Amino acid sequence: MILEGTIRLPFSYAAGGIGTQFLIALRDEQRILGARCESCSTVTCPARPFCSQCHAAVTDLIEVGPAGNVVARTETPGKGVFGLIRLDGANTAILHRLVGPVDQWRRGARVSAVFAEERTAGINDIEGFVIEGDQP
Amino acid sequence: MNAVAVIGTGQTNHAKARPDVTQPELIREAVDAALVDAGLTADDIDAVVMSNMEMFEGRALPELWVAEGAYGTGKPVFKIATGGTSGTSACIAGFHQAGSGAFDTVLVVGFEKHSEGHTQTGMALVDPFWDRAVASGALGNFALSISQYMAERGVTEEHAAQVAVKARRNAANNPHAHLQMPDLTIDDVLKSRMLAEPLHLLDMCPQSDGAAAIVVASGDTARKRGPKAAWVHAAATRHDQPYLGDLDRRLITTRALRSAAASAYAQAGITDPLRDFDIAEIYEPASYAELAWYEALEFCDDGEARRLIDDGVTSMDGELPVNPSGGVLSTNPVGASGVIRVAEASLQLLGRAGDRQVAGAKTALATGYGVYAWSDVIVLRSEMP
Repeated sequence: MILEGTIRLPFSYAAGGIGTQFLIALRDEQRILGARCESCSTVTCPARPFCSQCHAAVTDLIEVGPAGNVVARTETPGKGVFGLIRLDGANTAILHRLVGPVDQWRRGARVSAVFAEERTAGINDIEGFVIEGDQP
Repeated sequence: MNAVAVIGTGQTNHAKARPDVTQPELIREAVDAALVDAGLTADDIDAVVMSNMEMFEGRALPELWVAEGAYGTGKPVFKIATGGTSGTSACIAGFHQAGSGAFDTVLVVGFEKHSEGHTQTGMALVDPFWDRAVASGALGNFALSISQYMAERGVTEEHAAQVAVKARRNAANNPHAHLQMPDLTIDDVLKSRMLAEPLHLLDMCPQSDGAAAIVVASGDTARKRGPKAAWVHAAATRHDQPYLGDLDRRLITTRALRSAAASAYAQAGITDPLRDFDIAEIYEPASYAELAWYEALEFCDDGEARRLIDDGVTSMDGELPVNPSGGVLSTNPVGASGVIRVAEASLQLLGRAGDRQVAGAKTALATGYGVYAWSDVIVLRSEMP
């Protein structure tokens, strides 16, 4: 005998102080913020409340990007190309879509963010990344 | 920690699906095999440590529902869930329990029944703000990291395919292994379906139903039973940053695994891993990962992993056979997979690994790897510490 069924998992997660500022800047100003550690100068982007290197609490937000370099990429058949993009001024990378012809996506490519027309304070307020200079 | 040893092991025959048994019934198979192997009964067990990834079966608190399969009722029971390291971390917890004197004889049992849940959903329940909202799951995560690793270390799809073939050929000597593909070729791997470039289907581990158990005893109890045991000489575990974009946790850096290995090697007096170890059972969820682990575990310098696989150094007749069992690439019930590493390493030291035995193995390595964020390294020897 096999019992079949489906579970729904609703959620409502708090974005926190740093996360909320990051998301509001995306939605209202089309600016990408990084969190700069006052102890060791590491900049995380997306902005995080604790330094990825020295664990210090971080409160200093600075603007990074919107251009950067592709440090890793993969193509998932049927789903598109995804990359890790290190934005100018940041030490960590952001996961996002690489938009446009597949064959142009190489490691080291210079890219820039394209923002969504309708923004809802989520990471998808960035629609994806295109080769720098190809923005609409 | 006082001396402890593995005095018994047991495994199910791992498979794509075991619809004939419930989760506790599956566990009972492995536990009974381990107790028989140790020459003990359930009454001799003082405490139970379990390992399982509960989101993979869509069932909360698995230890609550399945511990009866491990004779846990009335005993101390807890569960560890750290992705792929769950099983090795549970073993380490068992070592600490018996080594601290808190308990004398501890049963460690891990299981997963992937056929009963939706693993991709479980894997997708990662950071909701940055990663999950764009893409998630094990495949894309690996593929991104591998694209960096290939470029910086000169590794090709053919190098990785050799690892995939080695694992499945080794598995043909292991009656417990899930995938039985003795005739697999490099071409088969390269022609298998592309999951997330450059990862082909046969570069990845399967999802298996299975359970594995070990019995850990204090040094005094292990000595009284007789001379044969797999003695724990070192155990180290490390946590790392969880975000996909943290560049210092990728395959090229493997910070957590390198740190855990350095600690364990110092504890056990390992100075030249390729020579000092007779056999290794390492947690390689993808073919490329095994190559990265060769470097992180100091079998070779960075960039030399491709030479090890090209030259057959890690094949059954090489200098250091890696994963005679067929590894995670052939069998992956996630919560059990780390326990399987320790059980297989122990069997090798006891000289009871059957057709997959490495002759005269005296020093063994077992590792665990969980979601980029955890690494475990364990050193076992046939000699007492």
